[in-house]
Amino acid sequence: MMELPPTRAGHIGRGLSATAILLFLAMPIVIILVTSFGADGIGTFPPQEYSTRWYEQMAAPGGNWATSIALSSLIASLTTVFSLILGVTAAMALARGRLPLHAAVYGLVLAPMLIPQVVIALGLFLFFEPAGMLGSPLAIALGHTVLAAPIAVLIMISTLKGIDERLEDAAASMGASRMTIARRITFPLATPGLIAAAVFSFITSFDEFFIAQFLSTPDTRTLPVLVFNALQFDVDPTVTAVSAVLIALAILALALVALVRKLGGHRNQQGGFLPTEPLA
Amino acid sequence: MAGTALAPGKVRVKTSEKRGHRSRIALVNAVPVTVFLLVLFVYPIIGVLSLSLEGDSGGFTLHWYADALSGVNLSVLMSTLRISAETAVLSLLVGFVLAHAIARMRPVFAALAMLIVVVPHFISALVRTYGWIIMLGEHGLINTLLTSVHAPGAPYSLLYNETGVVIGTTSVMLPYTVLVLQGVMRGVDGRLLAAAAGFGASRLTIFTRIYLPLVAPGIGTAGLLSFILCLGYYITPALMGGDKQTVVAALIDQQVMKQDQWNSAAAFGVILLLLTFAGLGVLGLAKLRRKKTAARRSSS
Repeated sequence: MMELPPTRAGHIGRGLSATAILLFLAMPIVIILVTSFGADGIGTFPPQEYSTRWYEQMAAPGGNWATSIALSSLIASLTTVFSLILGVTAAMALARGRLPLHAAVYGLVLAPMLIPQVVIALGLFLFFEPAGMLGSPLAIALGHTVLAAPIAVLIMISTLKGIDERLEDAAASMGASRMTIARRITFPLATPGLIAAAVFSFITSFDEFFIAQFLSTPDTRTLPVLVFNALQFDVDPTVTAVSAVLIALAILALALVALVRKLGGHRNQQGGFLPTEPLA
Repeated sequence: MAGTALAPGKVRVKTSEKRGHRSRIALVNAVPVTVFLLVLFVYPIIGVLSLSLEGDSGGFTLHWYADALSGVNLSVLMSTLRISAETAVLSLLVGFVLAHAIARMRPVFAALAMLIVVVPHFISALVRTYGWIIMLGEHGLINTLLTSVHAPGAPYSLLYNETGVVIGTTSVMLPYTVLVLQGVMRGVDGRLLAAAAGFGASRLTIFTRIYLPLVAPGIGTAGLLSFILCLGYYITPALMGGDKQTVVAALIDQQVMKQDQWNSAAAFGVILLLLTFAGLGVLGLAKLRRKKTAARRSSS
């Protein structure tokens, strides 16, 4: 960090440019939230009149949107379960154990974050197509787990590394069994990390487009696939309300993670979950 | 004393026992993720590779690659590379300015700014792209503003062309560049800059001769990372580009979904993969070189 005394002009210039760039990042999101309450059709900003009609249309039971929201939720739940199982075991191996071939396993786990998703999606298509599993929620969830598991592993590794092993050793020296230590010491301390891993796995799947697009059939289209089609082919203004709900969901999820970490006494490390971390 | 002579030995036995136990447990725990990724990640990608080398009636061929690297297909590949390069440069420039400003903000503002950088990253790229479509249209917010201040030539066509695509992809890649650069900038020792100033170096000299070389690794990483991530990216170009602005990932999707041209799609997939590996290789080599230089410095 620079410790030179700031010049006034430099100070103002930096402030203005930073504000402009932050607006650049935030504006698209603000625009969607406002537009979703507009009564007029797609793409008018600011709206002339306000209403909640697109939200009502989205929630209409039996409609396309309601069906795909249910499907996406099912797939995201399955993904969360798979990715937590893989994340916890892999983190035990990578953070705690002395694993032979440590670097190779670590590299394998990180690879799905860097390989183009369209290639992964194509590979999964070739894998599931002969098995007649296209359109199967299980297949899509397994595909999403390829992307979600690395994130869960990274979160669980940083969680386990943050737990003082001497607490476990102390419990062991007082005669606690392995099960007791896991149940009474390790698990409670790891809970904030587990919740963060679960939340991030869920959003990863709920927002994922490529794999769902390649593995879906016209009967099983997840929410992002439906949103993509709506944006590309038809102009169904309901999509603004759906987008606003997706924004609200992401913000809620992040708030939940921040809250849990705060309660768990962790210092808030922003961006610590992003895939940039292993590279930087 | 016999007691003290025994104690360390005892402890050593215990630790080595613990070590053996630990590596056994680690091996068992590493199995699920390894098997899962070998079956559902590595094997499918090998499937893509073998399909790209398979002729119509079986047998080995490089036909699909020749096809992918000629005519219209080649121009799609080139425009993908161009869009990725433009995005990388732009998000690096914008990201540098923002990260630099954040590094000098008061902690409260810096935290708020980082929140505005990180939160959008977790919001679906589809949704953010849609926001840009609403904003950049002929009657969108940007053009309305520009027309009202009588900007020459307004309204501009900012959508369904390369300008629109690059604006959209840059906003998607920006959080990565800001985070990487932020990390490096935070690590710069301010005393070095102050020392240079003490010797009478001008601000420009300090910036170009000391600050930039110190953050250079971050610049390389951030730029390559956004370039790599852009290569296989598809949502924004598909929605914000015109009919002419196809990228490789969109082409793969079309070939599989509409034309049943799997081999050709696979060849494109492998080309994307190789480009990604090349980028990662450069990153890895640069990191290795830095480590070696650091080791040499500390040993001399």
